[in-house]
Amino acid sequence: MDIRIENLTKTYGNLNAVDHMNLRINDGELVGLLGPSGCGKSTTLFMLSGLTTPTEGKIFFGDKDVTSIPPEDREIGLVFQNYALYPHMTVEDNITFPLINRGVKKAQAREEALEIAKVVKIDQYMNRKPSELSGGQQQRVAIARALVKKPQVLLLDEPLSNLDAKLRVATREEIRRIQQEVKITTIFVTHDQEEAMSISDRIAVMKEGVLQQYEVPQTMYLNPANEFVANFLGTPEINNIEVDVKDGVITAGDAVLRTGAKLADGHYHAGIRPESFYVDENGISFAVDNLRMTGRDLLLFTKLGQTVVRVLVHSYMHVAEGDVIKASVREGHILVFDSSEKLIGRF
Amino acid sequence: MDKKSFKGYLYLLPSIIIMLAFTIYPLIRAIIMSFLGDYSIINHGYSSIGFDNYKALFADPDFALSLRNTSIYVICVVPASIILSLIIAVLINSCNKTKAFFQTVYFLPYVTSVIAIGIVWRWMFNSNYGLINYFLGFFGIDPIPWLNRPEYAMPALIIFAIWKSMAFNILIFLAGLQTIPEDLYRAARIDSTPKLRVFTRITVPQLAPMIVYSSVIGMIGAFKVYNEVFSLFQGKAGPANKAMTIVYYIYDKFYNSYKYGVAAAGSVVLFIIILVMTQIQLRVTGEKKKK
Ligand SMILES: Nc1ncnc2c1ncn2[C@@H]1O[C@H](COP(=O)(O)OP(=O)(O)OP(=O)(O)O)[C@@H](O)[C@H]1O
Ligand SMILES: [Mg+2]
Repeated sequence: MDIRIENLTKTYGNLNAVDHMNLRINDGELVGLLGPSGCGKSTTLFMLSGLTTPTEGKIFFGDKDVTSIPPEDREIGLVFQNYALYPHMTVEDNITFPLINRGVKKAQAREEALEIAKVVKIDQYMNRKPSELSGGQQQRVAIARALVKKPQVLLLDEPLSNLDAKLRVATREEIRRIQQEVKITTIFVTHDQEEAMSISDRIAVMKEGVLQQYEVPQTMYLNPANEFVANFLGTPEINNIEVDVKDGVITAGDAVLRTGAKLADGHYHAGIRPESFYVDENGISFAVDNLRMTGRDLLLFTKLGQTVVRVLVHSYMHVAEGDVIKASVREGHILVFDSSEKLIGRF
Repeated sequence: MDKKSFKGYLYLLPSIIIMLAFTIYPLIRAIIMSFLGDYSIINHGYSSIGFDNYKALFADPDFALSLRNTSIYVICVVPASIILSLIIAVLINSCNKTKAFFQTVYFLPYVTSVIAIGIVWRWMFNSNYGLINYFLGFFGIDPIPWLNRPEYAMPALIIFAIWKSMAFNILIFLAGLQTIPEDLYRAARIDSTPKLRVFTRITVPQLAPMIVYSSVIGMIGAFKVYNEVFSLFQGKAGPANKAMTIVYYIYDKFYNSYKYGVAAAGSVVLFIIILVMTQIQLRVTGEKKKK
């Protein structure tokens, strides 16, 4: 089932929690809805589920306008941030609950519940109460309960936020596997950019209710639509640098970053990712003020003019505090933004 | 005893003394009294020591009636009050704007004197111009002489008591309803749960601890019913004593007939009944919880 969102808006008082959002999700895709806290992710999800009524705009599932259809008739599965399992029911009763509500016979419901429980690997816990399960297991029960009614759309609201780092990674892979297995159109809310990039077919980044960019993860990472998206994606964070352009020469302070750039003269904001630097004999000199070992990489803190710049190099490189290294920026990796923070080009 | 726990006991002392003086001591005295006959000033002794009071008690048809009435009262009032309170609490809770208003309205009976409420209900029960008969008239039911005929004494008392005890239950249930996470109801909507099933499968199980609490407290209160009788029938136990309850019986024996021993024996019997009933109730609900 493909989803179309047109001009979707939700206003609380004089705040636009979601502001004229347009989005099109293809059938069977997993979309990560990404943004900082309070940017309107949950509100968007709740409007898709029907629990919140939009102030303006329309939602289509396939060709059908579902904007005024109540949640019980929308054929969606929703996994809540805190799972919202029924605490007094066993796992089996939790999973069969939506089926029995629809008039499925008990024996039939149990059979279908077992089937889906096997997919999410919780079939051995059918007689336990939710309180007797780990966070990850509870989450899989919540997914099973959402999937058992064979919904057209699966919505997940920060389902991993209660889990520890290791379990998060394992569970997000699990969600991806389940999603691929049942081929269901899925929207996954998160404020963790790495999580979003690693499992989504496409990412939608929001800021203060406004959709910033909707793209395939890799394209978005390399071609962020604006400074906000560039800053939001990637760890360690992108370097924000002030640059001057004159006759096609991009400079930051005294350092020449690029020559021959097709760019009008002037002053610009630029972004360079820490991993966009490479060691180069003919490059710019960087004094290493500080360094941090992260395992695979070595993160160097240096200065470009007055601005602190993070540079990522391989961890087998021999550098110490106080050393000077020479480095250049990879071709096409200087992101230049205009005064309204939009990306002008990559140089 | 080390210094620390000594200090702890010191803090407890005032309440221990109060409890000993006003609860434990009278309890022991009542038990002793129930085994003693009348005190004679001439002989400086009791006319008998033993089970005479209990024999008299169980031979008294009034006591049998009071046992029967109290049992009927408990069986009718406690469940009916809980079920009605539950429904009303859910209704109040569902309308957000008027919640505070109705919460106050329904709590009024709890903070108002039973005597005052009794007067209002006497008027409502009045066979000629009472509100209840007026209302029943709409359904073609002839006026019922609620307070004047023996056979209507218990029904009138029970209706009055259900209404009165609802205030406390509604309050407890409203507090309980507020603790149920909103997301459970959202999940139930997403799961297409019919309204009635939301009530029976989510609201009621979530309120189970409050329901158990209300039923235990309600049952203890119901076994001790006296105020309601007194206020509804103006100090009597209804026409021809037909609304006689255990506590009313004890009161009557003590203050009107001066049969202190029999009154004490009645209290002991009531004490044992309540003890046994609450134990059974707690055991049954405790067992369920384990499952
Ligand atoms: N019922 C409501 N009434 C008023 N304002 C609301 C309501 N729900 C959300 N908001 C506001 O709308 C904005 C978006 O909220 P939303 O819950 O969608 O954020 P979010 O992106 O899910 O954030 P988080 O990552 O913290 O969950 C916030 O500023 C929030 O305060
Ligand atoms: Mg949220």
